[in-house]
Amino acid sequence: MSEQAFKKVVILDCTEGIAGGYCTKLLADFGATVIKIEKPGTGDTTRRMGPFLNDEPDKEKSGTFFYLNTNKKSITLNLETETGKNIFLKLLEKADVVVENFTPGKMAALGLSYESLAKNKPQIILTSISNFGQTGPYRDYKATNLVTFGLSGAMYTSRPATHTSSRPVVEGGQQAEFTTGLLSFSATVAAFINTIDTGKGTWIDMSAQECLASTLGANISEYPYLGLSRKTNPFAIHGYPIGYSVPCKDGWISLTPGLGGAPNIPLLIEQPELLDDPLFTKPAMRMAEPEKFDALLTPWLKEHTKWEITKQAQELKLAFTPVLTPGELEEEEQLKAKGFFMKTQHPVMGEVTYPGDPMKLSETPARVGKAPLLGEDNVTIYNGLGYSKADLVTLTEQKII
Amino acid sequence: MAYKLLKGIRVLDLTMVFAGPVSSRVLASLGAEVIKIESAIRPDVFTRGNVYPENDPGTDPWNRGSLFHSLNAGKLGITLNLGSDKGRDIFKKLVKISDVVMENYSPRVMENWGLGYDELKKIKPDIIMASMSGLGHTGPLHDFYMYVPGMEGMSGLTHMTGYPDEPPMLSGFSYGDWTSGGTSSAAILIALFHKKSTGQGQCIDLAGREALIANVGNIIMDYTMNHRVQERMGNDQPYLAPHGCYRCKGDDNWVNIAVENDPQWTDFCGVIGNPDWCRQEKFGNSLNRWKNRSELDKLVEGWTIDQDKFNVSENLQKAGVPAGAVLNMKEVNLNSHLIERGFFDIIDHGEGVGKRPIPAQIPAKYNNIEKFVPARAPRFGQDNHYVFGELLGISNEDIAALEAEKIIGGAPSFPPGRPTRLNLIQAQDAGQIDTNYTGELREKYQKDIGINGNVKKEVK
Repeated sequence: MSEQAFKKVVILDCTEGIAGGYCTKLLADFGATVIKIEKPGTGDTTRRMGPFLNDEPDKEKSGTFFYLNTNKKSITLNLETETGKNIFLKLLEKADVVVENFTPGKMAALGLSYESLAKNKPQIILTSISNFGQTGPYRDYKATNLVTFGLSGAMYTSRPATHTSSRPVVEGGQQAEFTTGLLSFSATVAAFINTIDTGKGTWIDMSAQECLASTLGANISEYPYLGLSRKTNPFAIHGYPIGYSVPCKDGWISLTPGLGGAPNIPLLIEQPELLDDPLFTKPAMRMAEPEKFDALLTPWLKEHTKWEITKQAQELKLAFTPVLTPGELEEEEQLKAKGFFMKTQHPVMGEVTYPGDPMKLSETPARVGKAPLLGEDNVTIYNGLGYSKADLVTLTEQKII
Repeated sequence: MAYKLLKGIRVLDLTMVFAGPVSSRVLASLGAEVIKIESAIRPDVFTRGNVYPENDPGTDPWNRGSLFHSLNAGKLGITLNLGSDKGRDIFKKLVKISDVVMENYSPRVMENWGLGYDELKKIKPDIIMASMSGLGHTGPLHDFYMYVPGMEGMSGLTHMTGYPDEPPMLSGFSYGDWTSGGTSSAAILIALFHKKSTGQGQCIDLAGREALIANVGNIIMDYTMNHRVQERMGNDQPYLAPHGCYRCKGDDNWVNIAVENDPQWTDFCGVIGNPDWCRQEKFGNSLNRWKNRSELDKLVEGWTIDQDKFNVSENLQKAGVPAGAVLNMKEVNLNSHLIERGFFDIIDHGEGVGKRPIPAQIPAKYNNIEKFVPARAPRFGQDNHYVFGELLGISNEDIAALEAEKIIGGAPSFPPGRPTRLNLIQAQDAGQIDTNYTGELREKYQKDIGINGNVKKEVK
């Protein structure tokens, strides 16, 4: 019988968007009661972000919202009103953690600064997520995933090894957001572990620029030792550009000959006579004549599928792997065997399949669950605070909930 | 900066290279006592032996690599040969006094040594064991040979990275390894929380590829819901324009601009001096700009090309438009905002290296929590006496005997230190090289960066 790690933890989630949503999703998936506080009427911005089920824009049909809000509860509450603020403070009495990603200073303007929260509840942990942090010259700068990529240094390195002065390209998807969400989650859990021992609350200041910059610490540290700023992946200089994509019959394959070379490639491409060719025994030769190397490989690759190539290459101890599309994952045998994808029912979307959590814990695994409808838990939660049905009608009329 | 949040938690770290060390460094930065275990026959060669100060491997290259310093700051380091019975016995004694064991050997290595989770659990019932690999320890493909490209490529991320008419791209900064490590530390923290609240340990099977899938989960939803396979789109973001990376004045200088809505477009036009083309109908609203974005991108770049990237960024930000220069590693290290916020710790790596800034691995800033500057990454076997002597109570004579038997201690088996091939990097245009980096850093940080008092040493 598995347990839920955070089953006794209550989180007030005042975030919108991806980074904050991912942070509290992880808390919710591992058992926390996450009360998502949304704006009356519109709700979280990701409710308006695609993909939508059947391409029908609808606040209850966003795949992005669903994925980022599994296992959460949703209430609507207007924090910009005095009554709304007082309701929030009532919720705070039972909460352990508040997570927010307003622009820096906004919580204080609402009368909900860390100091005022701590006055009401000294043990509270407040996790504040922002683009550039709560202090410093960029504090009030605006950013998107792309802008953060540039200002963290990550973008400068993102160019093909063979075209190192080409226009830098941002990593696919919203990696600055997810990375920030992941680190904000870890930072919050660490604070909570400390609270168990010491009873001390804290205010955590997370900056997306710094979170993304952390992911390339090794690249950043080359400058103070050597004055170096790499313009492409660091493996390139060891021999043939590692991990580059080459076309095959049904898509792309990722070629990683390895630092010591790839002596078995001629066996893979059914040309054993090339086994002693320096192109395959000396990485430097591959680097000097990449076109010649590619010309030998591509005809054979183009006649075989990514999985045929991968399986045969792996038998020969070659680290060749398929470049899988987002559509090839659900049916992929390894993920299937591991039960990675999860399925659940949603009142509007019907049966939904979504990618599971990557933290595979034997005793406290992630739970399966849907994302909440906007304000789905208003009645239960506000009744719990002592508001009657009539009170809720009044609050709704006043546009507070 | 590091914080004492995980006080009293001890981690035995058998991981090497990148992903594992990222994970244990996060725990060290949060105040856990992380003991990195290497051995004379199995040092962490790849990171210890790469990118030396002033490109000089010196006589002890294993203590000088910048990758190692960056990935292992704040940890203790011991040498213990797990290939021997005695070595494994000592390891088991360490397990008895630890909370977490983490490893990234190929699947089955730990079991073959009799150090699998079931065995460790007998020694320490509440132990947390985290195993890290590319595809996980179970399933038909668990023994695939793969590195970062395999993890990124098999997650959907590579497919989504790059321009639509160009090949799918590997990240430039081993992002897959970092994500695997970052996710592993998150999993360990969940387990530590559970252990603190219930006294129960558990094991964690962390697949780096799955960590990356989680980060493109929203994109995968388009397939699970609609059977649509999204494609890579360079720097485009649907319905936002201008949104991209634009060339600026000088060599390899770029700025990102992300106009999110019509009011920001008006502000953007104001900053660039309201040229006539700004008023054209085809750029009049978000949808029109999105439809005509390639033409618009050329016009925007026509303006940025003569501008300094920092000026563009600052002027647009002043007007409330999201923008930022594409910083290279020099500019990150010298970034006033990051420095003022304490993103870097100036760590003294001792003789032959000196003080160098090291970036945070989990950049959280806590109030009310005791903080400290992480210790330098461990020199090879530097904490043997503390760990074997003080923690395990092994006498000096017995330690000497273990050294003689090569169970602990010894010089690492290490290839000759090889300088980074800067000539190759230059020939392949794979990086920018600034020869006055020590001077730049000293001026910016106002600290004695580099080898003590040695003003400037020529890079070989």
